[in-house]
Amino acid sequence: MKINKRWEIPWHIIFFIFILVLLYPIFYALGFSLKSLQDAYNSPLSIIPKNITFENFNQLFTSLPALKITWNTFVIASVVTIFKIITSFLAAYAFVYFIFKGKNVIYFFLISTIFLPFTITMIPNYLIISSLGLADSVWGVILPQLADAMGIFLLTQAMRSIPVSLIEVARLDNMEHWRIMKDIVLPLVRPAVTSTSIWFFIMAWNEYVWPVLILKTVDNYTLPLALQMYISSEGGTNFTVAMAVSVITMIIPLTLYLTFQKYIIGTFVSSGIK
Amino acid sequence: MMNEIRFEKVKKSYGKVEVVKSLDFSIRDGERLILLGPSGCGKSTTLRMIAGLESITEGRLYMGGREVNDVPSGQRDVAMVFQNYALYPHMTVKQNITYALRTQKMTKDEIEKRLKDALQMLGLEKLENRLPKDLSGGQRQRVALARAVVKQSPYFLLDEPLSNLDAQLRGTARKELVRIHEKFKQTMVYVTHDQIEAMTIGDRIALLNNGILQMLDTPENVYHRPANIFTATFIGSPAMNVHDVRFIDGQLQIDEQFFGIGNEWSLLLKNYRNKQVKFGVRPEHIHLSTEMSEGRICGVVNTIENLGAQYAVYVQIGSKEWIALSPHRGFSKGQRVYLEFDYNNYHFFDPETTNTVGYPSTLNLNSKIPLKVEV
Amino acid sequence: MTTTILSIKNKEGRIQKIAPYALLLPSLIVLGFFMFWPFLYTIYLSFFDWNMVSTTKEFVGFENYIDVLKDPVTWKVMGNTMLYIVLLLAVNFVVPYIFAYVVEFVLQRMKGFYKSAFFLPAFISLVVGSILFTWILNPVSGPVAIIAGWFNITIPIWSKLDGWVIVVITLITSWKIWGYHFILLFASISGISKEVIEAARLDNIPLWRIFFRIVVPMSSSTGIYVFIITIVQGLQFAFTPIKVITQGGPNYASSNVIYQAFHEAFVLYRTGHSAALSTITMIIFIFLLIVEFKFVERRIYYENK
Repeated sequence: MKINKRWEIPWHIIFFIFILVLLYPIFYALGFSLKSLQDAYNSPLSIIPKNITFENFNQLFTSLPALKITWNTFVIASVVTIFKIITSFLAAYAFVYFIFKGKNVIYFFLISTIFLPFTITMIPNYLIISSLGLADSVWGVILPQLADAMGIFLLTQAMRSIPVSLIEVARLDNMEHWRIMKDIVLPLVRPAVTSTSIWFFIMAWNEYVWPVLILKTVDNYTLPLALQMYISSEGGTNFTVAMAVSVITMIIPLTLYLTFQKYIIGTFVSSGIK
Repeated sequence: MMNEIRFEKVKKSYGKVEVVKSLDFSIRDGERLILLGPSGCGKSTTLRMIAGLESITEGRLYMGGREVNDVPSGQRDVAMVFQNYALYPHMTVKQNITYALRTQKMTKDEIEKRLKDALQMLGLEKLENRLPKDLSGGQRQRVALARAVVKQSPYFLLDEPLSNLDAQLRGTARKELVRIHEKFKQTMVYVTHDQIEAMTIGDRIALLNNGILQMLDTPENVYHRPANIFTATFIGSPAMNVHDVRFIDGQLQIDEQFFGIGNEWSLLLKNYRNKQVKFGVRPEHIHLSTEMSEGRICGVVNTIENLGAQYAVYVQIGSKEWIALSPHRGFSKGQRVYLEFDYNNYHFFDPETTNTVGYPSTLNLNSKIPLKVEV
Repeated sequence: MTTTILSIKNKEGRIQKIAPYALLLPSLIVLGFFMFWPFLYTIYLSFFDWNMVSTTKEFVGFENYIDVLKDPVTWKVMGNTMLYIVLLLAVNFVVPYIFAYVVEFVLQRMKGFYKSAFFLPAFISLVVGSILFTWILNPVSGPVAIIAGWFNITIPIWSKLDGWVIVVITLITSWKIWGYHFILLFASISGISKEVIEAARLDNIPLWRIFFRIVVPMSSSTGIYVFIITIVQGLQFAFTPIKVITQGGPNYASSNVIYQAFHEAFVLYRTGHSAALSTITMIIFIFLLIVEFKFVERRIYYENK
């Protein structure tokens, strides 16, 4: 629609500067991870390395069990994602296609967990995981994250957008629920399932608070924890290596986001938080 | 009896809102029954109770002689066509039609045979690999029909299946529906708010208003022998004129004018002597002329509406306005005209109950229903 | 015949009754074990003196609450938290609201690009964000300091200064959460019917007035949701940069209620104090939650959908 054109240009300029600020750190990390430490100190402003070197990555893999750490992160993120998407899908299906006693109360309680501060659960969870002998293990990180109210919410919204009559036709045809889920609901909410899965994966990949409480040995670390070793308020000396860890930590989330951004944005836009 | 559907004092309410108030009637095996009524009258709810998609609050529903109140929809063996067609958007035409059959351990040959028959019957042969989004509205509607037909269920339910089609397609679709039904002879229940569909498709019409059955009869009787004022005015377009008149000495008093109604009608109205009674007459049963004569009453033309084939003439008599249909234009606003009511097509209703007073047994039912063009 | 019907009816009926609970069970088990039970247990712990290691817990009634509320550190942290909330709201509620409006109704081009770019940092680890900004904003050798030096501006040693440290940590946190809030508000604003805005434009109503008189009221339920998650989730997200960069220092100047609860439990091993502080925090959050459900679930204003 037609709106006064004179406001457009200033806003484009503001947005460009804004995006520059938002994305600068990412390019900074990419550039400096490929610089030698010498180069980094000599030209602290130039993002583009004089000579591209993989020395930082090399150093990273020799000084840290970086492969193991990346693998840990990947395992945690994958298992968490698979479980969260399944538990969320089943719960959302129950909320959308069944009428049952306590439905609204249960929904309210589940969704309200989004608002709980993690400090209210951290001590008991730490105790549970310790008493199960899972402290300082990948499974200890995974276990409390197998379900997610946000996923239930997003998939509930997606399923509500399917016309009820499609499900009614299937019920008239004496279709079992598992078949309706598999043949009708799942294909129709696939975009939401895809983007919610990616969201889960990235959240678990980046998760810091919970792993930092229970992981103690470097061999069990995830990438954000490994990265933390390189930081202090003054900045350590190994700062180009720190940039290399940053790059490894963000490369997968960034790739996933850039590949699936249409789906992801679509899901959040159409979920229409009430 | 075989595939009869019977309602016994069936009620449906959502919380405190009663949508259907005590339905008590039967749908015969193999007939085409139309559930007709204005929006919100409970007709769709009634259909959905038959399908098992809505629970029954009170009363009993029998299908094929067994009570089905608690039988889930999947075990009632009904096929249904939805208003929005409810085609699975991610399945092709073929997959849509055969999906239910494939899940029921039916042999491949049988599925293929039914699919072929259905595609051929509905002229969908070349579309079987298309997705619903690549079909026109009329094609989608036929796919929905095909999907219902292949099930070969004894009950065939349709919820306003033609309301999303344009007027031209609707005519052919009506004929197609009747043709399909003639072939399979299922017990067919068809919900619509469109009286043309009701008249042309229905063996019988069940007219609902506010969750109450107003009349259940053949299209002819619903039109010519309406059981009450609601039925009389709901069916027919323009609607029947129904006005308060007084019955005095074998004559009706309309405003300050009188005209005789003859012995047969007078006998019928014997309880209303010197009382108010509701007098109804359809616009097409009023003859207009410019000359006064015996049995005519006088009025003044208010407006004239061009309906295409005919003209609707609005005539003021005293404080009431009457509508008459006239094949020619020969009247003008403000003109004095004389109305003559067709003796065979009077309707009288009790002012209190709004039910019909009855009809003289000697009258012949005029079986031809003049269907009006949609306005 | 009747018996088979009855058995069908009962079996199917039973399945229909049990199925939804069975489907909810996995979620309920996980969230029950790791959300609801811990939640109750934390409240229980707030009435005991314990160090997480000792085998005995001593019941102390409300003493933990009294201790916490008497402790000047708590009040410093509460003050910090208020400052965090104000700053978080300014950056993550006000700004995305305006930007979402501008992208939807003022601009014609590049909408998709802006959406993608704004949302992107939300997918990057906040530890990465923290470390990168620590370098970039390094007051001596960081690029920002160097450029500022050309103009004779010195960057304060923010990590050591009260106030500044909160500002910087808020900005780092906002870098991560801002885009998500933008997307939520954009979703709501783009749901407002174009006709309403067009009608207002035809009446020559200025853009800022359309924003306050039409767009804000018509997107108010999402607005309130974002307002609340800015506080509730923003304070929790700030935990990461606090932990990574300052560990709450200097002298608690960057700590907030969330970090402080962690600090009490896992650094000072005073579970009672930590639990009491968490419970107080949660009561404040529950109050916000009630506001959310009261206004948002009932809808102050009916949005399009």
